[in-house]
Amino acid sequence: MAAQNEEPKALNLLFRTFFSKHWPVWVGGITLGILNILLFAIKSPWGASGGINNWGENLFKSFGLFGFEGTTPVNAHFYGLLCLILVIGAFVGALLSKEFALRIPPKGELVKGFLGGGLMALGAAVGMGCTIGSFFSGVPALSGGAIIFTMGLFAGVIVALKYLLWEMENLPGVSTGKSYTFLAVSEKKGKWQIWLGWIVSIVIFLIAWFVAGTNSILAWFIISGLLMGLICQRSRFCIVKAFRDPFMTGESDGSVGVMAGLLVTLVGFTAIKYFGIGLGDVSLRAREMTWVYPHFWFRALIGGFVFGVGMTIAGGCAVGTLWRVGEGQVKLWMSAIGFILISPISRKFIAPPLVDLMPHSMKFKNYLPDYIGYTGAFLLVCLFILLWYVFVKWNERTGKFSAF
Amino acid sequence: MESNITETLDCKGLSCPMPMMKLAKAMKGLNSGDVLEMLGTDPGTKSDLPRWCEKGGHSLLEKNELEGGVFRFVIKKK
Repeated sequence: MAAQNEEPKALNLLFRTFFSKHWPVWVGGITLGILNILLFAIKSPWGASGGINNWGENLFKSFGLFGFEGTTPVNAHFYGLLCLILVIGAFVGALLSKEFALRIPPKGELVKGFLGGGLMALGAAVGMGCTIGSFFSGVPALSGGAIIFTMGLFAGVIVALKYLLWEMENLPGVSTGKSYTFLAVSEKKGKWQIWLGWIVSIVIFLIAWFVAGTNSILAWFIISGLLMGLICQRSRFCIVKAFRDPFMTGESDGSVGVMAGLLVTLVGFTAIKYFGIGLGDVSLRAREMTWVYPHFWFRALIGGFVFGVGMTIAGGCAVGTLWRVGEGQVKLWMSAIGFILISPISRKFIAPPLVDLMPHSMKFKNYLPDYIGYTGAFLLVCLFILLWYVFVKWNERTGKFSAF
Repeated sequence: MESNITETLDCKGLSCPMPMMKLAKAMKGLNSGDVLEMLGTDPGTKSDLPRWCEKGGHSLLEKNELEGGVFRFVIKKK
């Protein structure tokens, strides 16, 4: 009898460890970093904007618009599928912790969501990548362009934050007005969310198991997407927050969480590139140049800036948008719609003529180890992270750069 | 208890960063000892707000969940 009584208690305790409180952001950063390393070891690193772009191309393809007939279907596109399952993973995380609800903000916020998503799509097309591909994966991939993209992001976030502060003072109507919340449950009521959470996760595991028979790499992407969405939702892993909060409330927890993830990823990616792990049938050089895009430095700078403005207005970068879609935040649904609609058009029609205006020297691939060796590149990235850490901690204490 | 509340800030439906921005602004306009009631629906606020209060030295008097997924916080300014 005694044993029977203890068992549910232990399982209950385990469940509550994961789903009663939010996880520290650094736990999210480190676990996402590990999953990212595994994705790279098996195929290629984590990315988000490419996946959302694939959704958009498929949408236009289904209407026969703009000539996207040749695009890969979402269920066969590694990143299109990863993004889709990431949304479901966040949905599962929100259900299991009873945090799912449809939250509809005032109209002005919906418009900001859409515009922010559109700007992110444009920034990702010009700068080649988003906060994942050209920052969270790109910087540990030792890409010089990713470091420039990051500087653009910082500038964009600061400008857009200034706008948000101005808007709050001068146009308070944008963020006030009627709002609605549906399907919310409370601590005592609404066990259906937990049951639904289990059902959805079991269905995803079954799909992965089924897919594993024909394409084991795709199955791994499905499982990773589910875990990544869940981790993002539980730790509220948000790259906008990491860049923005030091300049807003002065908080540094979000930034430190992202730095922890960057460091872990840096170690893993450097090893994969240096030793040529997971080469398969590609050359060592191709493996080294993975996630190093031809955007150094002007493309990356401009793209990063536009992306930074967009994600701050939307309140979530590409991944931040995806996991909040799963949590039921309707503002971010608008951001996702903006991203989906604008991304294929930006990539096909807007970015190419803009890029043609730039001299070649402003859009080449810069792989840091080519110039300063693996040791130099590794230490340089460590130095950047250290400087960022010192800045956010100093600013948290003194409030020198915080708006409040 | 209710009568002590100086101001109520409604952030229902808003997502990050609007609730924390509005909170920081509202708190700036209050005097020391004033009490602010904040209503919101963004789960992020549940961890952001207590941490922000702790760092700023404000006391979080109450934290509860109302019907319809609304979180309610009562904060006393330092």
